[in-house]
Amino acid sequence: MNAAIFSARSLNLSFGGVHAVRDVSFDVERGEVFSIIGPNGAGKTTVLNLISRLYDVEGDGRLMFEGSDMTRVSASEVARRGIARTFQNTELFEHETVLKNLLIGRHVHRRTGLLRELFFTRSVARQELAFRQAAEDIIDLLDLQGYRDQVVASLPYGIRKMVEVARALCIEPKLLLLDEPSSGLNPEETEDVEFWIEDINEELGATIIMVEHDMNLVSRASNRVMAMADGAVLAVGQSSDIQNHPDVLRAYLGD
Amino acid sequence: MRFIFKIRYQQDIALFRHDGQRFWYGLLAIALLLAPLGLDTFYLGELALVCIYAIAGIGLMLLVGYTGLVSLGHAAFLAIGAYAHAILMTNGVPFPVSLILASLVCAVIGAIIGLPAMRMTGIYLAIATLAFAFIVEHAIAHMEPLTGGFRGMPVPRPILFGLDLGAAVPFYFVCLFILIACLFGALNLLRSPTGRAMISIRDSEISAQSIGIDLVRTKSVAFAISAGFTGLAGGLFAHDFGYLSPDTFTILTSIQLLLMVVVGGLGSLHGVVFGAIFVVLLPQCIALVRDWLPPTVGQLPGLEPGLFGLVLMLFLIYEPLGIYGRWRKIRDYFEAFPLYRKATHKRQRSYLRTERVK
Repeated sequence: MNAAIFSARSLNLSFGGVHAVRDVSFDVERGEVFSIIGPNGAGKTTVLNLISRLYDVEGDGRLMFEGSDMTRVSASEVARRGIARTFQNTELFEHETVLKNLLIGRHVHRRTGLLRELFFTRSVARQELAFRQAAEDIIDLLDLQGYRDQVVASLPYGIRKMVEVARALCIEPKLLLLDEPSSGLNPEETEDVEFWIEDINEELGATIIMVEHDMNLVSRASNRVMAMADGAVLAVGQSSDIQNHPDVLRAYLGD
Repeated sequence: MRFIFKIRYQQDIALFRHDGQRFWYGLLAIALLLAPLGLDTFYLGELALVCIYAIAGIGLMLLVGYTGLVSLGHAAFLAIGAYAHAILMTNGVPFPVSLILASLVCAVIGAIIGLPAMRMTGIYLAIATLAFAFIVEHAIAHMEPLTGGFRGMPVPRPILFGLDLGAAVPFYFVCLFILIACLFGALNLLRSPTGRAMISIRDSEISAQSIGIDLVRTKSVAFAISAGFTGLAGGLFAHDFGYLSPDTFTILTSIQLLLMVVVGGLGSLHGVVFGAIFVVLLPQCIALVRDWLPPTVGQLPGLEPGLFGLVLMLFLIYEPLGIYGRWRKIRDYFEAFPLYRKATHKRQRSYLRTERVK
């Protein structure tokens, strides 16, 4: 494995009296699939929200991506630096077609200004065609051809989750954050999740941080696993070690 | 039924998707160009008014229908556009230049308004824009050396190369031309990244952010574009009225504009034009009906705004997608005949969205 592409140092966050995240530090190596597991309320999603800068890191916690500090950059700058994410219950642009959702995902690659777009000059048209080509590549990768022109609001849940992943991939992310990719999916769809995680990881070369409950998926798809409980890190390591780690067992099953 | 065989990506970014559209829009264009032959001065004036309302409507639609920001103060941009245009023309700036400058002034003010407005959404934004409209109204009343205060100011006639553009026929063509240009501009924006960024903010701010869209910038740009279009309409309104005073554009005008985009159909440019026709036509219809009604009802002072309100409510209840939504249903019915299903346009239940993190 290579050097760390992303590292978090002593992240802390509390909502009122609840310490949602306590002194969380971890490194993610370039090219790996890194899973975060833990019981409900462990602070897994909150960690993702901290990384995508939807919450501010408290105190002297730090987020480092590709060697530069991103602790205080804006949420949109995070995407421009190459970090994409999905949401647990999907956050799509409901009233638009799948294709339009993917094209919106290309926004960070925009090179044209307002004035040129007002007149839809040749360069804008060229860019549109290039965007379309890139979106079509992602559609191919995730087998979404049949849904291209359908409005998101009319799609079944499993497909929406795929569309959200596709939209995130349109950024061409170096680091992809997946928030419970298999939640709400049936066993067959969950198996598909494993395959596309592999595809994204190997074909597109994206590093992945995934929050997930399905231990089968976690152990098959990920290189390393971090277990959390009550906002703190319990253990980091291979999934088999984590599953047998005494602290993790205690967190899930009680004493 | 029509099936479009797509073989190139260009087909999806073209303004006209198939020959049917080209034919009907071409026919409409010819009809509009020939309108002065068949219509008398009064109806031509009404048609010009439809164009002006539609231009302002494009501005408001981009903001309300596409960016999802409600403004109750768009009359202020009409007023700023109208006064800026009138003041510039009084100082000898030629008509087209002055109109464009007036629009730019509005765009700059819109962008500045957009910055603090960024922190507000929904009803709070509506109230803030409402306050802005009142401030503008008072500012105009008190900036007497510039605007003539409560006495008002006359608008110079638009004369270009010795031709009086203020006369019925040329003015109609000026309005029509500007409307068409604005429609093309808006369509171009909507099929490029700026328009998509606006739509993304309307549908989900949280994921717009996580996709790399700068909320402050995009909202501010949306306000600027919206104000720019509306200011253009304001300049044309100035010529339509011929004389400006602080109470030319009031809160009722703002509400009328909002009514126009809602009744026309939120989220479509067709809706803007339908809405503009509706807003111009309704007072005419009321005037016609008034003579038939008993005087106690027909001469009621609040009849017109009351009816506007009633129509708005009926639309919200029975056809939230407005006239354009109804039009689409009728069109789909004929296109799919005899296979149209009643459930085609039924709204689906949507799924839970992520708990808001902010």
